[in-house]
Amino acid sequence: MPYKKLRIEVRNRVGYLILDSGARFNKLSVTTIRELKRAFSQLDEDGRVGCILLSGWPGESFAVGADIGQMRPFTPQDALQFAELGQSLFDQMERVAKPIIGALNGITMGGGCDLALACDIRIASDRLLIAHPGARLGIITGFCGTQKLPRLVGKNRAREIFATCDSYSAAEALQMGLVDRVVPADRYWDEAVAVAERIAGMPPCSLAWAKRLINMAEDCSLRSGCLAEQGAASLCFVR
Amino acid sequence: MSEKICRIELEGPVARLRIPGGPQLSRRDLLGALRKQLDQLAAKEGVRGVLVCGQGVQFCQVVADGQLTSPDAARLSAFGQEALFALEGLGKPVVAALSGEVSGLGLELALACSFVVADHSARFGFPEISLGRLPAFGGTQRLTRLVGRSVAKQLLFTGELMSAEEALRVRLVNRLYGAAELEQAAMALLQRVCTRSPLALRVGGEVVDAGYDIDLKAACLLERDAFALCFASRDQKEGMGAFLEKREPQFTGD
Repeated sequence: MPYKKLRIEVRNRVGYLILDSGARFNKLSVTTIRELKRAFSQLDEDGRVGCILLSGWPGESFAVGADIGQMRPFTPQDALQFAELGQSLFDQMERVAKPIIGALNGITMGGGCDLALACDIRIASDRLLIAHPGARLGIITGFCGTQKLPRLVGKNRAREIFATCDSYSAAEALQMGLVDRVVPADRYWDEAVAVAERIAGMPPCSLAWAKRLINMAEDCSLRSGCLAEQGAASLCFVR
Repeated sequence: MSEKICRIELEGPVARLRIPGGPQLSRRDLLGALRKQLDQLAAKEGVRGVLVCGQGVQFCQVVADGQLTSPDAARLSAFGQEALFALEGLGKPVVAALSGEVSGLGLELALACSFVVADHSARFGFPEISLGRLPAFGGTQRLTRLVGRSVAKQLLFTGELMSAEEALRVRLVNRLYGAAELEQAAMALLQRVCTRSPLALRVGGEVVDAGYDIDLKAACLLERDAFALCFASRDQKEGMGAFLEKREPQFTGD
């Protein structure tokens, strides 16, 4: 089945997942989220792919939240289902055995910010504008952002981002640790591709275990994490 | 008495909570006064945010307790922890705008706020160690969760004060301003926050706090349900309605 809201391409072991809704902003509608889930499982199964690059390049936005007009009449039950769908995408992204690089090419807001947080690494263009404006709409996010943002940038900065609803620049996002690297727009895509190709060239088994171990480090005791690390280290020597 | 130790000044939807401290003040008195004023602030519906600041003397300056018995020290610790849990759980955003030395009780209080802004004169630390004591009002726990074990140990072991710039770098402080503009800038920031949905601010704050100490999966379930609950509110209809009609929302917190 063809995709309507995104494109997929595989080159030099990098799986490109490009959000391309045809509109100015890539909204995380139900259709887009379902397509993202399908695309991630396709790239996860594709043996040619060592690393996934998720972006809205060369568009103006990376991604934004759902359509406000569609969300406004939601009942709590509708909202619950919608959050469930979104969270299942982010859960899947965590379970994909390949590193997912978020190439934040531009406007990244609300649910789009949560999509960025679900990536393993974030590389931003200096045109990045990132915000979590839920409190201006009378809601909080339901896409794991209230949990992942504090774990990434610290509770206090997360609280500031949620409370102000302000848009933060690439430089501010870098200073907070919200993104890992900022590249000027004119060199942006080349550098994002270079990072992805470098990672894609690494042994898949080591990448997969590195991702799993780091993700689990936050949620289990140090002893259990170290035990899992022992197992993973020995697996790397299985031929 | 509480009014003298911690003064509330109303400025539109923001309450300024001034905690000047004083050379004769005990920690028990300061914490007791804080507790009482927090009950006031929680009850005032018109108050949507709180700006915590000092005045003149060192922030939260208190007199040394002298020799406490162990049971007395434990009681004081429990009393102070409850007061700071009340501050953290106020349900309204609390921003601390600080300058000069912020140490001991002052830093513990600052750590229980939503976040801290400061001017370049601010310095932060826990000097208790040199007297053979430790922070006892949640400071060891909140500091470690905010800045990580390594920086927390550095502050607790050395008892040295950290500069404002260093505090910004390690995430203890969110923003730095010039000394002349600190309170005004912090007030402007908080006034802007107070135009947001009080319900979303409260629920969001609670979900951040509750979810931080549990595993990610359970925390995301908590968030999912809180998100759904927002759609039973007037604030959600108003916020999204205003967005679609391109006007400023008028939130009530209902």
